[in-house]
Amino acid sequence: MVIDQAMDRTSERPARALAVSTAGLTKRFGERTVVDNVALAIPAGSVCGFVGPNGAGKTTTIRMLLGLIRPTSGSGTILGGSLTEPASYLHKVGALIESPAFYPQLSGRENLKALARLGRIPLTAVDPVLERSGLLARAGDRYRSYSLGMKQRLGIAAAMLAGPELLILDEPTNGLDPAGIVEMRGLIESFANDGITVLVSSHLISEIEQICDYVVMIRAGRLVHQGSVAELRATQQAQFLVAPEHDADRDLLAGILRQSGCTVTPEKADGVLLVEAPGADAAALNRLAAQNGIILRQLTARTRSLERAFFTLTGTKSADVPPGQEMGAIR
Amino acid sequence: MIWAAFTSEWTKLKRRTLLLSTFLGLAAAASLFVILMFSQASANGGIVTLHQLARPNGLVIGVARASMLLGVVAFGIAASQMASEYSLGTLRQLLVRQPRRAQLLAGKMLGVVTFLVLALCFAGIVAFIVALAAAHSRGVSTSAWFTSTGLGDLFRELGDLALATVAYSVLGLVIGLFVRSAVFAVIIGFAWLIAVENIITRIVPSVQEWLPGASITAVASGGVEGVGYQHGMILSVVYVVVAIVAAMAVFLRSDVTA
Repeated sequence: MVIDQAMDRTSERPARALAVSTAGLTKRFGERTVVDNVALAIPAGSVCGFVGPNGAGKTTTIRMLLGLIRPTSGSGTILGGSLTEPASYLHKVGALIESPAFYPQLSGRENLKALARLGRIPLTAVDPVLERSGLLARAGDRYRSYSLGMKQRLGIAAAMLAGPELLILDEPTNGLDPAGIVEMRGLIESFANDGITVLVSSHLISEIEQICDYVVMIRAGRLVHQGSVAELRATQQAQFLVAPEHDADRDLLAGILRQSGCTVTPEKADGVLLVEAPGADAAALNRLAAQNGIILRQLTARTRSLERAFFTLTGTKSADVPPGQEMGAIR
Repeated sequence: MIWAAFTSEWTKLKRRTLLLSTFLGLAAAASLFVILMFSQASANGGIVTLHQLARPNGLVIGVARASMLLGVVAFGIAASQMASEYSLGTLRQLLVRQPRRAQLLAGKMLGVVTFLVLALCFAGIVAFIVALAAAHSRGVSTSAWFTSTGLGDLFRELGDLALATVAYSVLGLVIGLFVRSAVFAVIIGFAWLIAVENIITRIVPSVQEWLPGASITAVASGGVEGVGYQHGMILSVVYVVVAIVAAMAVFLRSDVTA
């Protein structure tokens, strides 16, 4: 039902040019269905987060979009080219798939030259992408001497080599330290500013939330939701952390709030209540408490996070894939 | 498109460590064989006599005997080049930039084969120089080597070796593609060429002429006992064509999950 509602919301959205659209995209490995009837509709020019827990089928979906894995069924178009003919669109696509993979004995520059020659891209395109990814100074060093962050940046440089209209980044912050994550975020934002459609997958919803304006949620191979981040946040009920000045008033306060239609859950923190208040704002809660002679020592609005939205839409409290639905080595 | 894949492959192949180890490795192997042959040769027996070495085809005898060793090395290098695309995960990068898989595979094969044939030519030149020095040290006259007959034999032998190298390289690439592990590909290739074929031939001698290693060796050596040159050539071509067709069929259809 949740999925149906999500699909309804998708279909209600006004039509925009789509960079990626699929219908009934399905992949089975033997008896196991890894991607199940996925219908993507990713607007051109958006920064689209592709989120789901580990084993949800994100990487398999991405590999199908890149022509690396043949769909069992379904169709699609990417930048106007048919999914069944990857050569018709891949020259306009850049991709970083899982961990970056290059020849360890070659320098960063030589690795990019090998890819440029293969894609018939002028070799003059190599140094500018190295510069943009902050690797120009180390471009002559062997790839095997690079740190994880540098390897990831070389992966981004390789993805940018063809001057793509669509950039597909699969878990680009995997293994990066906090500074590296911030750098990567900055790079992705700069691509978006250039008008490139970016599809970035991650199992960290909070990470996606910071850089994306559009989100596709997938779980156990099925599409859970897709739409703008703002729309999704708006569907979430307001949540507040509320604590009375005196702990003795806690039960009384909880009762009053419940009577007024709020959902109240005691938090682990001493005396704090988590209040879901449909249609209410902080002032209304404060007024209600004051009218009943309770002074609040805490009244904090909780951000409407994508993480909460994800769990609400999937009807779960855990990001884990249900037992028996893991994808094993193929994600 | 094949040219793009070919030049891309050469960007990888020409890296210093691979270039030096392959070219110098093959040259060292060929030279070692030549040195051993000259050092073991005697006036009236052994592997070869000093008299035989002084004939127009004297040099060819040694080079032909090294063909199996050179082939095994070529096989191993080709297999590891292909398999490492899977083990390193670089194949997915390549396929994003060149989604036409047949052209990618053809370009890669062409790149590796030309690389190994060039390495073989280099090894041949080095072995020739070493042979001149070895002949001088053993007092073997080399004047017959430089006659038109001698040079003809030499170039014909080098041509046969190059053809055999093409066959070994293609089979190595295909095994590397199927096995997807450089180590296993090399082990399988070495075990087959060095041990399995020998065992099969000892148990059932009549099948020798149908085995791939024996056929390619026959091409490299201008024919060997039990396998004629022409028979070896035809069978080698059949093995190479079947291997390429099988590799294309698998490569074009398989999912890339590495």
